[in-house]
Amino acid sequence: MVKVTVTVNGESRTASVPPETTLLKLLRESFNLTGAKLGCDVGDCGACTVIVDGKIVNSCLMLAGQADGRDVLTIEGLATMERLHPIQKAFEDKGSLQCGFCGPGVIMAAKALLDENPNPTVQEIRDGLAGNLCRCTGYTKMIEAVQVIARGTASGQVTAKSA
Amino acid sequence: MKAFEFVAARDSQHAVALLAQYAPSVRVVAGGTDLLADLKFSSHVPKVVVDISRADDLRTIAVTEEGLSIGTLVTHTEIMRSPVIREMFPALVDAAHTIGAVQTRNLGTLGGNLVTAVPSMDSGPTLVALDARVTIDGSGGRRQIPLTEFFVGPRKTALKPDELLIEILIPKASLSKPTQFLKFGLRKGQALALVNVAAGFWPDWTKNVFTAPRIALGAVAPTVIRAPQAEAFLEGRAMTPEAMAEAGQIAVGEVKPISDFRASAGYRRDLVAVLTKRALEGAYALAQSRKKQ
Amino acid sequence: MDSKTTVAEKTAATGLLDAEDLMRAPALAPLIPYPVEALVPDVDKQTPAVGQRATRPDARLHGLGQTKYIDDFYLPGMLYAKIKRAGVASARIISIDTSEAERMPGVMAVITGKDVPVNSFGPSLKDQPVLADTRVFHAGDGVAAVAALTEQMAADAIEKIKVEYEEFTPVLDPLESLKLETPGVHAPSSNIYGHKVIKKGDVEKGFAESDHIFEGSFRTQMVEHVPLEPHATVATWDANGRLTIYSTLGRITLGRADVARTLGVPMSRIRIVATIVGGNFGGKNEITTEPVMALLAKKTGRPVKCTFTRPEEFTSSTTRHPLIMDYKTGVTKDGRILARKIRLVLDGGAYCSWSETTLGKACILSAGPYVIDNLYAEAFVVYTNKTMTGAMRGFGAPQVCFAYESHMDDMAKALGIDPLQMRLINALKEGSLSPTGQTLHSVAVRESLLQAAQRFGWNEKTTGATA
Repeated sequence: MVKVTVTVNGESRTASVPPETTLLKLLRESFNLTGAKLGCDVGDCGACTVIVDGKIVNSCLMLAGQADGRDVLTIEGLATMERLHPIQKAFEDKGSLQCGFCGPGVIMAAKALLDENPNPTVQEIRDGLAGNLCRCTGYTKMIEAVQVIARGTASGQVTAKSA
Repeated sequence: MKAFEFVAARDSQHAVALLAQYAPSVRVVAGGTDLLADLKFSSHVPKVVVDISRADDLRTIAVTEEGLSIGTLVTHTEIMRSPVIREMFPALVDAAHTIGAVQTRNLGTLGGNLVTAVPSMDSGPTLVALDARVTIDGSGGRRQIPLTEFFVGPRKTALKPDELLIEILIPKASLSKPTQFLKFGLRKGQALALVNVAAGFWPDWTKNVFTAPRIALGAVAPTVIRAPQAEAFLEGRAMTPEAMAEAGQIAVGEVKPISDFRASAGYRRDLVAVLTKRALEGAYALAQSRKKQ
Repeated sequence: MDSKTTVAEKTAATGLLDAEDLMRAPALAPLIPYPVEALVPDVDKQTPAVGQRATRPDARLHGLGQTKYIDDFYLPGMLYAKIKRAGVASARIISIDTSEAERMPGVMAVITGKDVPVNSFGPSLKDQPVLADTRVFHAGDGVAAVAALTEQMAADAIEKIKVEYEEFTPVLDPLESLKLETPGVHAPSSNIYGHKVIKKGDVEKGFAESDHIFEGSFRTQMVEHVPLEPHATVATWDANGRLTIYSTLGRITLGRADVARTLGVPMSRIRIVATIVGGNFGGKNEITTEPVMALLAKKTGRPVKCTFTRPEEFTSSTTRHPLIMDYKTGVTKDGRILARKIRLVLDGGAYCSWSETTLGKACILSAGPYVIDNLYAEAFVVYTNKTMTGAMRGFGAPQVCFAYESHMDDMAKALGIDPLQMRLINALKEGSLSPTGQTLHSVAVRESLLQAAQRFGWNEKTTGATA
């Protein structure tokens, strides 16, 4: 067994797991954070996307031991008790999700994109979301939702308080 | 995944010692983008997996007297963002950008891409075209070999079970050599290359001829290969679009593509001709734009 | 921005969440299920619905990552199951030895087809086994199942199950399967397990009156739905012998009927709970592992979960029928269709599944939205030793659409007529008769074509010589 301590959504969490456990399984089964999903288990679909030390990764391709001591942000860490994260709000308003299974992964990828590049072009949005597959929506409304946030940030209108 | 032991290396020295200790039933994990996918559907796993992702001494990018040294753990994202690589080798940036998607580029390492050694790998052609060498460390000591000798076959490298790829070195003579990388896949993202190619040369502006031309091709042979006949054709020849097109045609005769569900061998040969020509044109355009500066 | 900048500082810089807000992020997310309340539709108010902007009620939970899919369920004491896949396309099972698997650590139960009370089910023909018992009909057939403490233990155990096969030459080409001399995949039944003919008017007379006759042959491939969410099932029995199955299954009443039949348990004792599904597209329209999980749960006395791996989605869940479509059309020199003869061969895979519905739809729709007074459409569905073909978005309609529209373009090109014009000439109108003799109303084919043409800027393109 390996003992793993990870800061998840701002909170220190520890678990003792078999060494071959992936970060995805650690989150879902040891920490009960089932937002990240298992879609393919080989890093193709992006449904397992979480943010580790500020960068999006396929959590199915990281061993739990590799996440030891690191900072992990999952979908469950975006909203506060009072309100949604602006990306969640924009996705809701635009109707960007249908079955919702790809949603947590896409939203984390969108967050990482916007953290890095607050005003992305459509091509940059496509590039930033290229690692997240969706079978329901055709991606258009996800791109539009990201553009809404980009426009809002650029004009200074959308902030946490107004979301 | 089947069970294995997990040991984390503190630095490259520690990693080498761990490999010596646990060889031969040991594998190295860095970004895990190839290894974990492999292990999940494998009937055999190693007894021990050594994690080298904490060995920060393998993460540097630096210009030394020997050339440009890229540590094995440098990720594809880091390559895309490195100011010195962006300046000297836009082709390396382009190649890194074609790999997977953001998530896989954040995890995947240059060393890992080379060690996995699939014939269609995207980081290989540009480095081969730049005469790159690799440094290997193991219980038998350090050694440096040309990248072309590192690739032995599909998914086979010259690494012994207790050896670690440490560094990729682009020699001084190749620094800022105008090179272009092109990849043709069935999608714009998360696609395997049907064919990829890197072409570069030093332009002799006084005589207006190609010097030291290099053409490296991927996905058309068991490993990344050079196209020596096409290169010999270009050496000392006038830098014209016709010459570039002709070089592309010659390169077609030097490749052995297979037919698979993605493409026929014939289609791949067509791609080789066109992409080689375009890569040479791209390298020429890059050389010209630098001349103007 | 280097990795040392904190998340708080980064988001403060981009203005998305300020640092103070981030500090108030939920500390122990798992203990507080829904930080923001779910959207609930206001059912008491009578509002005009058409034209209203509506927010999906599940959008809130989707965005929060709080929507629970079947794989997100964990019941106390739950075991994990894996199915052993045949790996051979056509074979007789000589023997199955599960003894080594049963002895492995963590293995709680092993079952085979012999443990299934009634080992056949299907939406129409009941030709699909729950677990292959005597014969294997495609490589994705399940031959045994293991329930164990962890998923990996179950996966290790199925490797140790030894199956002896007598392999047969598989039938892979539907046209081969169509030939009467080919041995029946499901012998003694014929390979042709569905047949439909639509006859209208007199095709031979129509051809005789035609100025030109065109023939075209079209094929489509097998397609897998690839829902992001793999198939998943959790089965559990209560103390009164009632079964509850949590499943990604779309048709739960049909599922209850199939589970009742295969287990020999009255439907009234079977509850199937389906939650938000992570994509169906027709691929989750019939049971997969539900009866197997029920049997494992019964044998172990514990809840049992099984999720498909992504490869299993391809080998062992239904796919879209490949079609081989032969068209023969007689037209006047100005492009009016006088007669059409069609032969469709549907690759019906290893089991019938939804093939009867697909056959019917494909045949009825194969003429296209065009006025054709003389029509003969004949469709066959045949067995092959490949993944079973079933329901997928369109049920045969997309395949024939590809055929008749490509055929239309080919004919227009050969005749030198604008492809749009050719369609307008032949389009169904108000009061037209369908291939099966139904009088059609509210027909908007011409209007749709003209509007689309206008939007696409069709008339600005060169006409007549378009491919």
